Amino acid sequence: MAMLEIKNLHVEVDGQKILKGINLTINPGEVHAIMGPNGAGKSTLSYAICGKEGYEITEGSVTFNGKDFLELEPHERAAEGVFLGFQYPVEIPGVSNMNFLKAAINSIRKYRGEDELPAVEFLKLIRAKAAELEVDPEMLKRSVNVGFSGGEKKRNEMIQMAMLDPIFSVLDETDSGLDIDALRIVADGINRMRGQDKAILVITHYQRLLDYVVPDFVHVLAGGKIVKSGDKSLALKLEKDGYAGIGIDENAA
Amino acid sequence: MTEKNHFDGLNYENVYAAQKNMLPGTELSWLNDIRQSSMTKFVEVGLPGPKVEEWRYTNLTPLKSETYEIADKSPSMSADILADLTVQENTGSKVVFINGYFSEAHSKIVSQSGIILKSLPDFLKSDQNSAQALLSSLDKQNSLEHLNTALMTGGYVLQVEENVKLAEPIEIFHIATKGAEAKALRSKCFIEMKSQSSACVIEHFSSPDGFDIWRDNVTRAQLSNGSFLSIYSFQCEGSEVIHMNRVLADLGEDAEFRHQSLNVGGKISRTEVKPTLNGLFAKTNLRGAFLGREGSSHDVFTHMKHMVPQGTSDQIYRGVLDKGGKSAFQGKAYVAKDAQLTNADQSNKNLLLDRGAEANSKPELLIYADDVKCSHGATVGELDDQALFYLESRGLDKNAAKGLLVEAFIAEVFEEIDLEAVKARYLDLARKWLDKG
Repeated sequence: MAMLEIKNLHVEVDGQKILKGINLTINPGEVHAIMGPNGAGKSTLSYAICGKEGYEITEGSVTFNGKDFLELEPHERAAEGVFLGFQYPVEIPGVSNMNFLKAAINSIRKYRGEDELPAVEFLKLIRAKAAELEVDPEMLKRSVNVGFSGGEKKRNEMIQMAMLDPIFSVLDETDSGLDIDALRIVADGINRMRGQDKAILVITHYQRLLDYVVPDFVHVLAGGKIVKSGDKSLALKLEKDGYAGIGIDENAA
Repeated sequence: MTEKNHFDGLNYENVYAAQKNMLPGTELSWLNDIRQSSMTKFVEVGLPGPKVEEWRYTNLTPLKSETYEIADKSPSMSADILADLTVQENTGSKVVFINGYFSEAHSKIVSQSGIILKSLPDFLKSDQNSAQALLSSLDKQNSLEHLNTALMTGGYVLQVEENVKLAEPIEIFHIATKGAEAKALRSKCFIEMKSQSSACVIEHFSSPDGFDIWRDNVTRAQLSNGSFLSIYSFQCEGSEVIHMNRVLADLGEDAEFRHQSLNVGGKISRTEVKPTLNGLFAKTNLRGAFLGREGSSHDVFTHMKHMVPQGTSDQIYRGVLDKGGKSAFQGKAYVAKDAQLTNADQSNKNLLLDRGAEANSKPELLIYADDVKCSHGATVGELDDQALFYLESRGLDKNAAKGLLVEAFIAEVFEEIDLEAVKARYLDLARKWLDKG
C-alpha cells in the first residue's frame, strides 16, 4: 500500500489558486525530491500536506496510510507520523527547546495511547541525538530558535525530527542558506530518517542537497502542477540546463 | 457636595452609623474620631466616575446603584479552601481573614524574635499607642482609602526589627464566602521594615464565583534604610467581585521593594502600586500579569515617585486578553527635579487572543531632572500564526500550543522569582485560566 497518496490536489491561498491538480504517490522506503522554480507552489504543497490554516483544499484528496489526511488537525497529522522541516524555522521566545520537545513528544504519545516518556528516558534520548547531530547540548536549553544562526536553526530542525522519529518527513528547502558543513550535517540528519518503512519528501531549489540525499524519484513542480518526473538524473539535467532546458518557462509559474 | 466627575457615597454614612458597633476598636474614641473624619472626607469627595482621568478605564458605576454593607461576623469556612491556596510547607505564619474579619481559628502565628505580627484588631488592643500613631498619620489617602479607613474590619501589622530577617514568608489569606454577597470587605495592612531587615509576604485573594462582593485592601509599607520587602499577590477572585488592592511603599536609603502580582479573577479589578523612593539608591521592582476574558476588566495603576537621586525602578507588566476581556495599564513615573541619576524603566506588553478583546496602555512620564535614564514601552499584539502552526506541526494541539505561547509571553514577569513554590503557583494559576477558555 502506498504511504502517501495525493490525488488531483487543488489548493487556494487567499482566493488565489496555487496548486492546480497535484498527483503524487509515495511508497514506504522511497525518497522523493520536488524541484521547481520560485512560486511554483512547493511550500504550499508541504503546508497542505501538514494542514496549515489558510491553505484551502478546493479539490482532490490526500491519503496517508489509508487515512483521509485532510480530515485531521495539524497535530494529529504529526502524531500519525508526519514531520515538516521548515524553510524558515520560527523563533519562539520564552519556550525552551527542551520543554517544547518534551511537550511535543508526550502529546504525540498521548494521541497514540502511550504513557508519557519518563524524564530520565527523555534526557537520555535527547543527549544521544544531540551527539549524533553534533549539536551543543547547551543550545537545547535556549529558547526555540531565538538568536540561532541559519545553520543552527536547521540543525535544530534535525534534532526535532530525530526526537519525533517520523515515518514520513517533508523537508521544505531545508538546505537553503547553509554552508557546506551545515549541509552535510543536515543531509546526514535526513539520511538517518531513511528506512524500509519510512519515506522522505525533499523540497529543494538546488541539486546540491541531492548529492548527499540521493532520491529515488525527482519531480518538477511548475505552475501548480507536476510537469515532469524522473529519476535522479532529472535533477542533474536541471542543474545543467535549467528549467528552460526541459521546456519550462520559469516566469510562467 | 461631591467633587466634579465623582458620584456621591452618602449611603455609606448611613452604613457607618448603622454598623459602627461591628467595627473593631469601637471602644477607642480616638479611632472613632479617625473613622468619623475619614467618612466625612470620603463623602466630600465621593466615588470616582469614569471621567476622572485615573479611573477612565475602570467603570465604577456598579458601586453607584448598590450600597455594600459590612459583612456579618460569623463566617465559617471549609478547610479545603485554605489548603488549596497555601503555596508553601506549613512552616511560616498564616494570617486568615474571612469576609473581612481576622479568623484566629484558621490562622497560625509563628513567633520569631524581632518580629511582631498581629491582626489589626489584636494590635488595636495590645499596642494602642503604636496603633494610634499608625492610623493618625495616613497621608496620601484618596477617597476610596478614606472609605476604607472609616469602615475597615480586617488587616494586620507586621513589624520587623533592625537587622532581623523573617525566616519564612508570611502568607495572608483574604477569603470571602457566599455569606459575603452584597457586602464590602475592607482591610488595612501595615508593614514596617526597620533598617537592614528583610521580609517576604504572600497574599491570596479568593472568593466564590457568582457572588457580588466588593473587596478593598490597602497595604502601607515603610522601608527604612537598607531593608528589603517582597510582596507576592495572587488575585483569584470570583466572577462577580469588585476587587481593589492598593499598595503604598515608602523607601529609605538603599531600601528595596519588590511587588509581584497576578490577576486572574473578578468582574472589576484594580491594582494600585505606589512606591515613593525617598532615600538614595532605593530600588523598586514591580512585576505583574493580568489575564482577562468576557466579564472581567483589569486595571493596573502604578505610580512611581523618584524624590531623590540615584534611585532605580523597573516595571514589567504583561496582559493577556481573550474575547470580551478588557484591561488597562497606567504607569505613571515621576522624577523630581533633584532626583538626578535616576534609572526608571517600564514595560507593558499585551497579547490579544481574540479581536474582541481590549487592552489599553498608558505610560505617563513626568521627568523634572535632566540627568536620568527613563524608558517605557507598550505594545498590543496577537499570537503569531506561524509560531502556532510550528508548534502544532510538532504534535501539540491548538490549545496546548496557545498555552505554551501564552506562558512564554508572561514568563518574563515571573522568571526572577526564587521561591519555587511561588513561581509554580503563578504558572499553575495562569494555566488554569487558560484551560477555562
